[in-house]
Amino acid sequence: MLSELLQGTDTGGFLVIQDSSSCTGRHLLKSFINAALNREENIHVLGFEVSEEELAEGLNTSAPQRLHFHNAYSDPLGWTDHLTFTVHQFCFDELTHLVKQTSQSKPATLVIDSLSWILRHQSPPAVCKTLQQLKRGGAVRAIIGLLHADMHQKGTVGSVCHLTTSVITVAPGMKGDEAVAKITKRSKSGKVMQYEEIFSIKEDLTVIVQSKPSHLEHKQTDPEEQQMDPTAHLTFNLRLSDTERKAKEKLALPFVFSKEKKTALLHSGQGSGRILYEPDANDDYDQEDPDDDLDV
Amino acid sequence: MAAPVDGVGKPSAERSPFNSTSFQKKTRSKLISIPGTRPSVQNGQLLVSTGVTSLDYLLGGGLAVGTVLLIEEDRYDSYSRMILKYFLAEGVVCRHELFVAAAQDNPDDILQELPAPILDDVAIHKPVDQPRLSCEPQDSLDAMKIAWRYQNLPKVQSALASTSRFGHYYDVSKTMEPEIRQAAKCHHFYLPEHPTQSSTTHSPMIESYSALLKSLQEVIHREGFDIAASMPKSRNILRVGLQSLGSALWGDDLSCHDNPRHSHALTTFLYGLRALLRSSLAVAVVTVPSHLIQDRALMGSITRLCDNAIALESFKGSERETNPLYKDYHGLLHVHQVPHLNCLASQLPDHKDLAFKLKRKQFTIERLHLPPDLSETVSRVSRGELAGATMVASACGSGTSGTKHLDF
Repeated sequence: MLSELLQGTDTGGFLVIQDSSSCTGRHLLKSFINAALNREENIHVLGFEVSEEELAEGLNTSAPQRLHFHNAYSDPLGWTDHLTFTVHQFCFDELTHLVKQTSQSKPATLVIDSLSWILRHQSPPAVCKTLQQLKRGGAVRAIIGLLHADMHQKGTVGSVCHLTTSVITVAPGMKGDEAVAKITKRSKSGKVMQYEEIFSIKEDLTVIVQSKPSHLEHKQTDPEEQQMDPTAHLTFNLRLSDTERKAKEKLALPFVFSKEKKTALLHSGQGSGRILYEPDANDDYDQEDPDDDLDV
Repeated sequence: MAAPVDGVGKPSAERSPFNSTSFQKKTRSKLISIPGTRPSVQNGQLLVSTGVTSLDYLLGGGLAVGTVLLIEEDRYDSYSRMILKYFLAEGVVCRHELFVAAAQDNPDDILQELPAPILDDVAIHKPVDQPRLSCEPQDSLDAMKIAWRYQNLPKVQSALASTSRFGHYYDVSKTMEPEIRQAAKCHHFYLPEHPTQSSTTHSPMIESYSALLKSLQEVIHREGFDIAASMPKSRNILRVGLQSLGSALWGDDLSCHDNPRHSHALTTFLYGLRALLRSSLAVAVVTVPSHLIQDRALMGSITRLCDNAIALESFKGSERETNPLYKDYHGLLHVHQVPHLNCLASQLPDHKDLAFKLKRKQFTIERLHLPPDLSETVSRVSRGELAGATMVASACGSGTSGTKHLDF
């Protein structure tokens, strides 16, 4: 699952990498940036926590014009008058303007390092609103953010993760360079799937997934109707050839009355009793529900 | 006071006004007969179906008109959204009007995902086929060869002036057809598209909530849902669905901070909402992401301010998912509050341990059964062993499973 996520989030996707003080998620973030660069995408990085040189270390620098780094590291609050990116510029209009300025052709991927920094200086409802607008709007194709879960209150982390399409929580693994990733992925139809994988990151920022993912999948809405042809796979023949069908249609049925008798019978049928039934609580019990084996 | 059914000394055992015979009971008063409603057998309130028949049974027959149902969302907001969709779909089928407000998803998207009703006697808005008389005998008789006795029965069993059934079933795998959906009148409130007016008055409610309340009030007044309004020929019910109130997208930091700054915004809104609903023919379902709200006292006051309150707890993502006790169900349902409207005691549900399961054609809420307590020698082994195995994985020591057979 981790490799699938690395290969590209869908449009309008919002991925959050949650880390903590025991295990950093920045290496995984850099792997995501690298994978996106290899896919020839335009990337905008809002760097609050590390400087540009440190972030660009190890990245694929073959096409430097595709990676735009907005320096928010040196002066994030705008105390001096240098033209850097400040935390107050984190709103929908300014970000759209920033992204559109530098890359015109196709929508870009926005990488935020880190969301925690922004959440400490702006109110969480405002940040959530901006993220939701970015998710919907056209300038940014996907958003990847790093969030330090132990820096915020549980409600803040929960509110931000509520907006996401996928959350990857990294935790330290058994061996030194391994880490455990718990992935929660939400698809558009409402399915929520969870995976747990052990991975490690090599020098060139490729991710190796060590173990097989153990996923607990639950489909909620949207089971597919299984159309089965009942005449298939039988030891006897239930299908009709053309001559057989014609013969069937020509067959005179019993209780086929003449037309006069039919109309007479039909007219006398009016005014007969009707059965009206209001279902009560006992009707909820469906003994032979054929859908019981469907994982709905 | 919630909207009672007008009646002077109305006995509780009265038949529903939507009779199937032509016999009309002579009463002195005029009953409000609105499609899709029925009077409660307990206290005579006018009830409306929530769309989920098991939930209707839990709430004492249905939702009383003029009350608010609070649904505390589950962790990933899947089942609470499903119940909201059932509620709105029931409104479409009963021909009520809808008012949908959301901050995250567009109300249009919510309405497009409504589940399809399982039609056996739902009146679709096509002109009802009159039973064909003998004016065209040839055509009508040729239509059915074997079942010709059913010729003259109308194809769509139209309800006699109103839906005779209270509570319908829905197929979750299909979405409602556009022509059924568009027949229902719907009012939207989508927060990002709503112009924000910064209020100068210093009210404890934040702007998004006051805008929502104003919009709802205006709709109620304009469309004539006020009880006090002059009685037009036909009255209808307004179903209000408010999604994810209290989440960060409404501008409320209730779910973000442990000590929110706007701690009284949502409670003030709910108070105003309930006052508005009591004086109009409307029902509201509000979903709140309570798993994000850390202040339990505030959550308690939010629960008290709504008439009905249920909480959904889904097993997904928790350790209960693998517990064999819960394998038949999708989550637990807790009833936190039932209303007492115009009466001293309320009808509490008999069982407190309820679990729900979303099947394709039904959302069932059942009592959670524990496995029967058999003796050691009979095969309780399968459940006991599994439970022991899960415990061993998380707890210390592998000796717990060895103490199965104790001899005293």
